Amino acid sequence: MSDRDQPSTPMSAEEQKAYQARQKHRAIILAALLGFMVVLFYLITIVKIGSGS
Amino acid sequence: MTTASQTIQGLASAKDLFALTKPRVMSLVIFTALCGMLAAPGTIHPVIGFTAILAISLGAGASAALNQWYEADIDAVMKRTQGRPLPAGRMDRETALHFGIGLSVFSVLLMGVAVNWFSAAFLAFSIFFYAVVYTIWLKRSTPQNIVIGGAAGAFPPAIGWAAVTGDVTLMPILLFAIIFFWTPPHFWALALFVNSDYSKAGIPMMPVVAGRQSTRKQIFGYSLILAVVAIAPFALGLAGQVYGVASIVLSTIFSVFSWQVGRSTTTRPDDMAAEKRLFKFSILYLFALFAAVVADRMIAA
Repeated sequence: MSDRDQPSTPMSAEEQKAYQARQKHRAIILAALLGFMVVLFYLITIVKIGSGS
Repeated sequence: MTTASQTIQGLASAKDLFALTKPRVMSLVIFTALCGMLAAPGTIHPVIGFTAILAISLGAGASAALNQWYEADIDAVMKRTQGRPLPAGRMDRETALHFGIGLSVFSVLLMGVAVNWFSAAFLAFSIFFYAVVYTIWLKRSTPQNIVIGGAAGAFPPAIGWAAVTGDVTLMPILLFAIIFFWTPPHFWALALFVNSDYSKAGIPMMPVVAGRQSTRKQIFGYSLILAVVAIAPFALGLAGQVYGVASIVLSTIFSVFSWQVGRSTTTRPDDMAAEKRLFKFSILYLFALFAAVVADRMIAA
């Protein structure tokens, strides 16, 4: 984990929990987007191969 | 009142990153780009067509993020924009800048790899135009900001067209011109009844610099140019009768509403019924006109 991912001031337990929840939420969305892009690039490749370009 | 989740430092929420792309503006971009694509001669594989629309949308979102990165100070002053992630303090500027640049690069590469490099270059230019020419250069320096900046919003249908054909001909140039000449009456009508906000932010919007009456006259003038440009595809034989009837009817109504704005002398925003009517109709006008382009093309095919 880089320094930027760490909060600059100490957080309370509540803030720490909210921070981790947000990290998790972002990670889930990023994973879903990456999965979507994998499928999309697979389909693009199939179409490109099919059209011979 | 802020919650713990709103004050988390250095970690913008996914919702705020999404808000940074101005999703409502993006819907118009998607629609006009799709219309440009569907109106173009030739065919495009649905997967490639979807990817082109996605790339154009991401490019528009990137432009919006870079716009908000640069304009955080202005947004903080205006009531309409105070709730955006940056002025509300839910995100730092660096995050917005990185997100905007990252999304820009990704959208252009996606367009180039999946569709064609001509439309990718076109997309890159449109992002540059909106983020640099409009946002950084013109918006704060000239009351013509909206006129030139309108070009940035006018690129999507031409890019959509280029995604199919790999080039740009007279018809996509006219589609570009329609949005270009539509933008001043649309935004100035809004600027007339939210005038105080733009004044407060120090933006040289036409009503602030030239006054309301001059702006109203210019709105009417632009509506006449818009009518000529909108009817041109039919007059030049580039579109059929469906588009011809739609463009004549819609442009006539637009011109009448603009004429009513031109005659108005009211200074109180609450009394600006003509301006509000024109603003609302201008949105319907653009959607209906572009839908007519597609309907006409479908019928002809």
